[in-house]
Amino acid sequence: MTQDAAIDLFVENAEKAGARVVRVSSAHELNEVLSGMLEGATAVYSPGVTPTEKGLAIPPDRSTEDYVNASACVEEVSAAVAETGSLVCSSQGGKPVQAGLLPGHHIAIVAAEHVYEDLDRFFAALGDAPPTNITLETGPSRTADIELTLTIGVHGPDRLSIIVV
Amino acid sequence: MSLPTGSIPFRENAAQAIRNEALRAAMRNATGVFAVKRADAVSAVPLEEWRDKASETRLQVLDHLADYVDRFAKSAVRAGATVHRAKDAETAREIVACLLKDHGIQKAVKSKSMISEEIHLNDYLEKQGVTVVETDLGEYIIQIAREHPSHIIVPAIHKDRRQVGKLFAEKLGCAYTEDPAALTKIARAKLRQEFLSAEAGISGANFAVADSGSLVIFTNEGNGRMCTTLPRLHIAVTSIEKIIPSVADLPKFIRLLPRSATGQVVTTYLSMITGTRKAGEATGAKDLHIVLLDNGRSSIVAGEYREMLKCIRCGACLNACPVYQTVGGHAYGSTYPGPMGIILTVLLEGMERAHTLLDATTLCGACADVCPVKVPLPRLLRRLREQRTEMGLTPTMERQGMAGFGMAAKSPTLFGAGQQAARLLWPLARKIGVKGTLARMPIPAEQPFRRRIS
Ligand code: SF4
Repeated sequence: MTQDAAIDLFVENAEKAGARVVRVSSAHELNEVLSGMLEGATAVYSPGVTPTEKGLAIPPDRSTEDYVNASACVEEVSAAVAETGSLVCSSQGGKPVQAGLLPGHHIAIVAAEHVYEDLDRFFAALGDAPPTNITLETGPSRTADIELTLTIGVHGPDRLSIIVV
Repeated sequence: MSLPTGSIPFRENAAQAIRNEALRAAMRNATGVFAVKRADAVSAVPLEEWRDKASETRLQVLDHLADYVDRFAKSAVRAGATVHRAKDAETAREIVACLLKDHGIQKAVKSKSMISEEIHLNDYLEKQGVTVVETDLGEYIIQIAREHPSHIIVPAIHKDRRQVGKLFAEKLGCAYTEDPAALTKIARAKLRQEFLSAEAGISGANFAVADSGSLVIFTNEGNGRMCTTLPRLHIAVTSIEKIIPSVADLPKFIRLLPRSATGQVVTTYLSMITGTRKAGEATGAKDLHIVLLDNGRSSIVAGEYREMLKCIRCGACLNACPVYQTVGGHAYGSTYPGPMGIILTVLLEGMERAHTLLDATTLCGACADVCPVKVPLPRLLRRLREQRTEMGLTPTMERQGMAGFGMAAKSPTLFGAGQQAARLLWPLARKIGVKGTLARMPIPAEQPFRRRIS
């Protein structure tokens, strides 16, 4: 499978799982899409660790360091898996993985070259000394505990948006 | 003979369950939905190949279980965890209680774990003065209802939305609603506070990886992630057979577990926790304690029922079982219900107590067809039934009846005569049947099947 085909498959499967996915090709375009997604968000958290995160244009009056009470979290995640439409959130580099879990809207940015075709390739690359916390996130938080009726947004975010760069 | 006292009253429980219309409707709905979802999820994948490989990996672990336990423990310690070994439920409970006490903790949040149900952890901790807050929505529902799970994946499967609405209104003091989304929101708000203030999180693990020392937890709601990342202390209790050899084996099980359990390609969250928070990190507990529970596994793995330990607790055999579908989980009176539950309960709690559950199967084989790791459930059930007979635990009537049937089945003349007699005497017998049992039996056919095909 070519990398392009892997990205297409990732987009398809992530959308099937209930995420909204947008593909962009420049930092400028990324910020445009992001500002649209942040409409209505009152407190935005971003870890600002990776170069991509450092280049994000988040309105200063709406940005916060407190991810617990933020309404949105914008972050670059370390990878994605096409087979399942999953994002890979990792604690590597001092990132709080739980920051993508607490706010109601998780906006994840993933670099196109970090999309793995399938689970085997991803876990083979991970090796036997993974970081403290690796979380595969696929779609928004959900439950079907009452009469198996699907309800979105239990403890985690009820909205998941993905930007593939 | 009279049955030993203290055995699970399955027949009585089942009779009661069958009369409960609301329960039967809930079970019909749930197991039906699950069956369709699972079938959809596996229709376009090389299921047989996946099952073979997964089964092989599970057997590989069982063949050298003690070695794998050592390997896992070593890796986990290397990653910063403290590993405790508990030979039985009591030891495991005490370890958890001591850890909480040593840390001066009075309240813990918990993500769903069947092992904690197996060792009755909540009851024990409550008695020690520790408040345990279940955070999976289904577990939360049954915790405030003071009940036990009736399904290993969907603990409150036996309740309909009206019952949950009433329960919330009564116990949480909110306005009555039966809208699942609104009820979920109410629980979310209550539990968010608990997560943020909790000092300890208790979890189980779906898998424990030997070569990396990682715990792997599948959840949809996100509560598992909260319990394992927010509090400073994380205690994971898992049984030793949950070990898989390496990180590279995970994809096999990721592909099978959610598909078999809920028909999902993968659960929303899949967390892999390897050790404690290191310097410069912002995620993970500062203190991670892993309690490895044996509770009979070491002896089961050495005996003829070892393949039961391949089980990855997906719940598919429950959903596929006509008995479970009809009576629901509580009738089994055990931690684990359904086909896997019958076998595990007999193995864990003993034949004397659990032999009555061996009646809770039709041996139709539907369970084996759906099991993702090819546990030979009907074979194990049949063998346990034989063992029950050997131990003299079957009712006299049944034994005599089976002996008579066995004799007749060997002789066509005798068999024919029996059929003839049944046809002639049946109308009379139905009138005098004990408590109407015979009256409910079908009338024998005019022309027996045997003669219709010969
Ligand atoms: S026995 Fe098989 S089908 Fe039943 S819960 Fe275990 S893994 Fe699933």
